[in-house]
Amino acid sequence: MVKVTRAARTDSGWRAARRTSTLPTRVLAASALALVLALGTALAQPYQEAPMLAEMVAAGQLPPVEERLPVNPEVIAVADQIGTYGGVIRRGFTGPGDHNNYTRFAYDALLRFSVDGSQITPHILESWEASEDFHTWTLRFREGAKWADGAPLTSEALTFYYDAVLKNADLTPSRSELLPIRKQRPSFVIPQPVANSDGTLADMRAVDDYTVEVEFDFPYTLFPLELTFRDGGDHTLAAHLPAHYLKQFHPDYGDQAEIDRLVAEAGLTDWTQLFLQKGIITDNPDRPSTAAWVPYQSTVSDQVFTLRRNPYYIGVDEAGNQLPYIDEVQFRYFADVQALNFAAVAGELDFQSRHIQLTNYPVLVENGERSGYDVITWPTFGGNDAALWINQQYTINPELGEVLANRDFRIALSLGIEREEIRESAFLGQGEIRQPVAAPWHPYYPGDEYAFQYTEYDPDRANELLDSIGLTRDANGMRTLPSGAPLRLEISVVPAFGPWPDVAQLVAADWTDLGLTTDVQVRERTAHFTMRDANELIIEIWNEDTSAFPFTGNPKIDPRSNPATIFAVESRTWYATDGERGIAPTPEIARIVEIIETAKTVGTEQQIELAQELNRMIADQLYGIGTVGLTPMIQGVVVFNSDMVNVPPLVANDWPVRTPGDARPETFFYRR
Amino acid sequence: MHWYILKRLAVVPLMLFLFSVISFTLIQAPPGDFLTSYIAELAQGGSSLDQAHIAALRSQYGLDKPITTQYFLWAGSILKGDLGISLEWRRSNAELIGERLLLTLALTVFSLLFTWAVAIPIGIISATRQYSVADYVFTVLNYIGLATPNFMLALVLMWFAFDRFGVSVTGLFSPEFTEAPWSWARVGDLLSHIWLPMIILGVAGTAQIARVVRANLLDELSKPYTEMARAKGLPEWRLVLKYPTRVAIAPVVSTLGWYFPQLLSGGLVVSVVMSLPTIGPLLLRALVGQDMYLAGTIILIFCVLTVIGTLVSDILLAVLDPRIRMEGA
Repeated sequence: MVKVTRAARTDSGWRAARRTSTLPTRVLAASALALVLALGTALAQPYQEAPMLAEMVAAGQLPPVEERLPVNPEVIAVADQIGTYGGVIRRGFTGPGDHNNYTRFAYDALLRFSVDGSQITPHILESWEASEDFHTWTLRFREGAKWADGAPLTSEALTFYYDAVLKNADLTPSRSELLPIRKQRPSFVIPQPVANSDGTLADMRAVDDYTVEVEFDFPYTLFPLELTFRDGGDHTLAAHLPAHYLKQFHPDYGDQAEIDRLVAEAGLTDWTQLFLQKGIITDNPDRPSTAAWVPYQSTVSDQVFTLRRNPYYIGVDEAGNQLPYIDEVQFRYFADVQALNFAAVAGELDFQSRHIQLTNYPVLVENGERSGYDVITWPTFGGNDAALWINQQYTINPELGEVLANRDFRIALSLGIEREEIRESAFLGQGEIRQPVAAPWHPYYPGDEYAFQYTEYDPDRANELLDSIGLTRDANGMRTLPSGAPLRLEISVVPAFGPWPDVAQLVAADWTDLGLTTDVQVRERTAHFTMRDANELIIEIWNEDTSAFPFTGNPKIDPRSNPATIFAVESRTWYATDGERGIAPTPEIARIVEIIETAKTVGTEQQIELAQELNRMIADQLYGIGTVGLTPMIQGVVVFNSDMVNVPPLVANDWPVRTPGDARPETFFYRR
Repeated sequence: MHWYILKRLAVVPLMLFLFSVISFTLIQAPPGDFLTSYIAELAQGGSSLDQAHIAALRSQYGLDKPITTQYFLWAGSILKGDLGISLEWRRSNAELIGERLLLTLALTVFSLLFTWAVAIPIGIISATRQYSVADYVFTVLNYIGLATPNFMLALVLMWFAFDRFGVSVTGLFSPEFTEAPWSWARVGDLLSHIWLPMIILGVAGTAQIARVVRANLLDELSKPYTEMARAKGLPEWRLVLKYPTRVAIAPVVSTLGWYFPQLLSGGLVVSVVMSLPTIGPLLLRALVGQDMYLAGTIILIFCVLTVIGTLVSDILLAVLDPRIRMEGA
């Protein structure tokens, strides 16, 4: 404890003068302790910076590191050891549609998830706090923090998003204008975190330069979670925007004539397109951001998309070194995913999990030593990597539709799959046989009895169940519908995502053994998606990767999501049109929606209860029959340079936690 | 001769109109539109969009307008010299195509020259030394070359280069030159990369042309005019090169016009496999992603090039063969 006080005293020089508010003592103590341990007591300067930035400071092109960092920088823990500066991370990407490659790597969100995905940690926001009743949230920015161009990062970042984007009818047209809904129900198009229970805009106000208050008309307990997602993912505007830069492109603030000129010059049709183009970070390197690396003279439409270190990044390591350690990130364009995988095998990528295919895992391991890279796996966050989703509203053949909607039939299908074979041959022995529920280490896990329910291979019981619902066998031993009409199942599968065509073939063979004629249709993805929206698929293979995040984003089990799986697309229309078109959900499906809506307004304990109920329903109802889960199929085979240090051995792997950004790439460095 | 060229040129606008309608219709034929495939791509990354967000994007991209309106918007802007903006890349089509067109043409010309430089001498040797050891060796090699799909050859050579030298021979530039402005160093870098795709793309054509030259030359060598020249004491090599060879390579020249689109379709898989920054992969991607403005524009440009290529081959043929020249006059 003596050490801490002494460090705090050492530390009190320049910082005390600038500090106007009290810092969270724990963070200060922790960083101070680390400072002492790493550097001893003779501390001339508390923060260090990269040599390339020190040169710029010496040349007078940049203010010193103390002035660039906020009063209370975020201390980011390293996985292994304190690093040294320099180097380039080479990555691969597949073109402009792959903008989320940047989003996930940069992880430039107001709040972030911890490395293990178990909790939310401060990032751009230093703290967040709810009122007693969860109606009002108080968000605090870091005092003295700056955008990558040196401009102050204040509460205006959020209020500008609120005033200029959410309140603007051109940028955020109301839902009723876009969807054919008879009842006028105001709601907003750009997924936005500040909506009231009726869809109207909640109240937001800046209390001071660093404090923002948001007030809802209901207890919005999931608000912090929403803030972790609003980072500009899916090619949208982020929730914190550089107002000082973007005002010139907005007619409420900028010069209309100049905006019109820019719109015409860029060959666009109206100012909203210009505003989006200027405001979306992957399209415009001039737009300041707050990430550890920022785009440098290139965009996601270029052959090489380059990022350089942000001299104003708010993060430091435990020893007071400003992060990131590595100078530059280069995304190289590959027209073809296999070519990207080949580059990984040749050791030309320094850190890559996106687009690395599970099927190449053996080749990657085999060549790792000679090409100078290591391979580790980050399994998915629960759910299932190849679930068979059964259409509950199949109307093309109503009699078949009725059979598909029979729970006993789905149980029989589940019992009739020999999953060990799938795990061994399609998933190379990786993962676990399970239903699509949350992972066992997750609080939403419903328990082993549900996770493994109906996963045992029991063709006898399956046959009994099929007999009991009147699917009798014809002369050839194949089952028919109760009316005697032929029964034909079809599994539709898209070949790009995982070893799904193989899974489909194995499942089809198992089901044919039960007397169910099953075809496999491998479809081009657009055709598959179009047929799914038209409710023309009978069964499809898709993954369930949202069972750990059922209440935010667009979970797969929520019939209202798009793309949703085939199990209830007609109910999506029903919800979107307020019951005017589509098919009314069954009580079970309606309960799913009810659970999701309720969970948004209750405390954590009740959320866990609701989520477990939802996960039990997943295993009970079998809308999606699970095969194998917890494999590294989705961006979980990680190839990284053997000289790279601080890559965590295990990281929560999912889209909402922005893997690999949640591994904190800013702490990676190269061993000399 | 001039009339002939002018007549050919006059048909071009009509053909382009037809091509534009056909290509636009064909691109629209598969189910779904650009947004469907965009959503599918996002889904691959684990994310999904709200129904209303999709509707907003659809109107933002103008995909909610009737198909005829979309066609006339596109065709209208092309007439004004504006090739439009790609839905996927959010960049102007002219820029996207421009940067790849040059490299595509370079690769095409190089592999064409390679093909001719190898195939014509082989054809001549095989014909003049018919049933010799050399002829048999070349014949076997030709059949192997003809029977090997060139993407397969690309994969084999790529693996060989990696296995032996530990390098991946993809792309046309080293990383440091990929985005660099044109300079002699960049041209040098291009030349150090272009030879492998050049050989791979040229090999199949080599086999084909060598067989054609061999067969034609064999026919010519037994004709009376050859016997006559030989009887008059003309040295054998001069005789062969001066008369029969000129006739024998005529069909080769006449297929020049097809060469470009053929290279596009044949070379597409190679370009994708080897990550070449040429037009083929761009078109494939535009078609898969239903980026109809980019795909339509590329197809239109290919039509123009094919028309020009055919015209050039006709003119070359006329120059090469006096009989055609005379007919035209």
